[in-house]
Amino acid sequence: MTATTAIGAGLNRIEAAAKVTGAARYAGEIPLDGHAYGSVVQSTIARGQVTMIDADAVLARPGVLAVLTHDNAPRLHRADDTDAELLVLQDDRVRYRGQAVALVIAETLEQARAGAELLDVTYQPEDHDVVFAADHPRLYAPEHVNPNYPTDTSVGDVDAALASAAIVVDATYSTPAEHNNPMEPHAAIAQWDGDRLTVYDSNQGATSVRQALTTLFGLADGAVRVLSEHVGGGFGAKGSTRPHAVLAAMGARFTERPIRVTLTRQQMFAMVGYRTPTIQHMRLGADADATLVALEHTAYSQTSQVLEFAEQTALISRLMYAAPNLRTRHRVVALDVPTPRWMRAPGEAPGSFALESAMDELATACGVDPIELRVRNEPSVEPDSGLPFSSRNLIACLHEGAERFGWASRDPRPGVRRDGRWLIGTGVASSTYPARSAPSTAAATALADGSFVVEITASDIGTGARTALTQIAADELRAPTERVEVRIGDSDFGQAMIAGGSMGTASWSWAIAKACRELLHTLHEIGTVPPEGVTAHADTAEDIKAQAQLSRHAFGAQFAEVRVDVDTGEVRVPRLCGVFAAGRIINAKTGRSQLIGGMTMGIGMALLEEGVMDPQFGDYVNHDLASYHVPVNGDVHDIDVSWIDEHDDRLNPVGVKGIGEIGIVGTAAALANAVWHATGHRHRHLPIRPDRVLTSLA
Amino acid sequence: MDFLYARSWDEALAAKAERPDAVPISGGTDLMVDLNFDRRRPDALLDLNGVEEFTRWERVNGHVRIGAAVPFTRIINEIGSLVPGLAIASRTVGSPQIRNRGTLGGNLATASPAGDALPPLMVADATVEVGSVRGERTVPVREFFTGPKRSVLEPDELIRAVLVPVADGPQQFAKVGTRNAMVISVCSFALALHPARRTVAGCIGSAGPTVLPTPDAEQYLEAELADRRLWDSRAELDEAVATRFGELAGAHARPIDDVRGTADYRRHAVAVLARRTLQWTWTEYRRAQR
Repeated sequence: MTATTAIGAGLNRIEAAAKVTGAARYAGEIPLDGHAYGSVVQSTIARGQVTMIDADAVLARPGVLAVLTHDNAPRLHRADDTDAELLVLQDDRVRYRGQAVALVIAETLEQARAGAELLDVTYQPEDHDVVFAADHPRLYAPEHVNPNYPTDTSVGDVDAALASAAIVVDATYSTPAEHNNPMEPHAAIAQWDGDRLTVYDSNQGATSVRQALTTLFGLADGAVRVLSEHVGGGFGAKGSTRPHAVLAAMGARFTERPIRVTLTRQQMFAMVGYRTPTIQHMRLGADADATLVALEHTAYSQTSQVLEFAEQTALISRLMYAAPNLRTRHRVVALDVPTPRWMRAPGEAPGSFALESAMDELATACGVDPIELRVRNEPSVEPDSGLPFSSRNLIACLHEGAERFGWASRDPRPGVRRDGRWLIGTGVASSTYPARSAPSTAAATALADGSFVVEITASDIGTGARTALTQIAADELRAPTERVEVRIGDSDFGQAMIAGGSMGTASWSWAIAKACRELLHTLHEIGTVPPEGVTAHADTAEDIKAQAQLSRHAFGAQFAEVRVDVDTGEVRVPRLCGVFAAGRIINAKTGRSQLIGGMTMGIGMALLEEGVMDPQFGDYVNHDLASYHVPVNGDVHDIDVSWIDEHDDRLNPVGVKGIGEIGIVGTAAALANAVWHATGHRHRHLPIRPDRVLTSLA
Repeated sequence: MDFLYARSWDEALAAKAERPDAVPISGGTDLMVDLNFDRRRPDALLDLNGVEEFTRWERVNGHVRIGAAVPFTRIINEIGSLVPGLAIASRTVGSPQIRNRGTLGGNLATASPAGDALPPLMVADATVEVGSVRGERTVPVREFFTGPKRSVLEPDELIRAVLVPVADGPQQFAKVGTRNAMVISVCSFALALHPARRTVAGCIGSAGPTVLPTPDAEQYLEAELADRRLWDSRAELDEAVATRFGELAGAHARPIDDVRGTADYRRHAVAVLARRTLQWTWTEYRRAQR
């Protein structure tokens, strides 16, 4: 492991000054000579056919340069793994409301938007099906669930175990569609030079966008360069190439000018993915001493008619608790809706709501403390696979959190604490998230002046990745952070993992550590740095392939206190406490911010966020941030975040597990469990809205 | 889109007379949202930011005369003690940035039932000064709204100022939102006690086509206060009276179901807010004695 000096410190963001002074440029701000603007026209029906697009009137407007439709747009190439959402303007089919049906290109943004609003599109609508239900006749079992997990798993005989269990919890939970809307809208500006394409794009991984564009436009390897130096948030919505980048490149090819496409906030609700609604059926069986004998988790979710995205909602139940009879199943239905995609902790976030709520119900049914229930059912190996854990400190987190939160004095009875008009309750839930690494490349260069440059196609989506990687490189190079420059966000630096799946830092740090160690070795051999500098390259593909088969996960425990207004049903959250065991935390400041951000998003999931589908028009009606509510400062009070000192040398050279997602896992369940403790009423459907609370209290 | 700019009240009236279709813009906190979402595409905007008198307030004969473009932040900071109900409501408007820009004139002209400043203006018996090149008139706020987002303003008229009587008793405002800030209210309620006149006034926001007065609740409470001689004794208010007042106020709501809340929830919540604002104002009235 690395000897640490910089690692662990709360270093300020290296690019902070550039960001707050506006010097940092985001994709939608990159000025290229002679660029024009593309504005996306979205379908106004949920299913059917575009029968005519009359562009003449729009083309006659001042400044309008082109109207791209399926009739004239450049033809795209597809490979087996091509994301079908990217095959924009290739045919006349409408597969969901909000799908791109044209791009209006004009000299100014205003001209492009005005043209897009006036474009006359005629449709042949067909009956659409947009209503998700657990008894939908077209539900099916996908071949695998995201990204490549088995759809169903089964150990032992769940039905028999449940039939003879002393205590059974059988309950259905649901979570609504949730939308990830980073502050920076998706934007790209594309420029062609012959058969070379350069795209400044807002994404979570420039090499994955490069690969997609290379395929779609049938280009040679190395012909595409994607740059994304600064990205204003992602939460999964920028995890892979999105249609705006393809449209910008198409528009640029068509007009032979650089074209910028920036999605509007409202367009993002249909065009960049969202979290699928879920319905989850849980069956838990236990002995009288609260030992689990059976656990069954069946999850239903939706996908689109464009491509299959099957969320791994029940994955969490394969590893959390030691049930000898364990079954998980996923079913999905393809509706005429936008394609759901990754949103912070896909799978674990909604899955943990069901599992951790059901565990709370089981604790009550068994008459044991919810922490004690988890302690009694702590597995020694991963229950589903039998693999050993590389490290697992769930119980340590629960105990540490109980101490910090003051759990010991808790009266388990629900609905008995009242302060004026407020009912008060507390709840707990476990958190987990996979700790994986993926192949990446990096280069480390020593310069003659004693400084270093590290290049890697990492993406800093606001997480502080650039700063954390600088700390890692500095420690590897045994140099102060001021002498190390880490350059990121340029696909020309070579293939690297995206900032996704909580795998960014784990994957990038491995490649950086390897390159830096190689560089130090070279420097040791040659003695002095030559005037032109010296560079070492690293690729971790073989290292990762050679990893031992282990169950690698971060764990955590979350505690919540709520106050419920008996008259209005409003739920307030005076405090949250999260304790995590996530390997080595590289930057204490940005790391804490990541976890606070995840837990804050968990408050939104529990109490506020709900994409409301309009069955008549097939659209999420609250498709803006005025009506789709995320928590604001007034909703967030005390969030206490800490981590235990965890050393796991079977992860990667730096010992990183990743913290991008675990913060949102378990928060909603902890809050729902606290609402139960406050009121005596179990809320199995999110969000826990005032009207739902009030109805339950009536 | 034509962009007209006025530097004085007379210039603004002349421009509005010439272009009655021009939509006035001051803080822009409502209008810019409509433009951005393409809900409206007016042929002309009339920018009132150059009219300095709109941003002034003054005390006139027991009233505060608040220029149409005095932003909420200044109402809170500069005249909060004179018009407490309005100040409480102003604090719940949007974010600090919105409160720095948003104005009373905009709240009135937009005439949304969810306009946070409107219920407190109603219960304070405020009047609106409007004018056109044809002349000026004053309209009681109680008569200003004719429907959802509709008012008595003629196409050539502009709002000049709002005359709010200095509070003669406790005032309160409360709202329910689906989160704790930056939220359009699910419903709201304003209440003013007028001890000198021995009257009370309540008003519902965001639970009907316009802000709604609550005459049945007011008559009930006035009778109770009179029968029990509570104005003089300043004795504690019976919980049952507050509850009944809330129920009667809630019965005046004419809510709809929407993504912010169900009609049933709104009716119930209005009753809760009416009860609570009564308890708060009465407690304040009792304390004022000592």
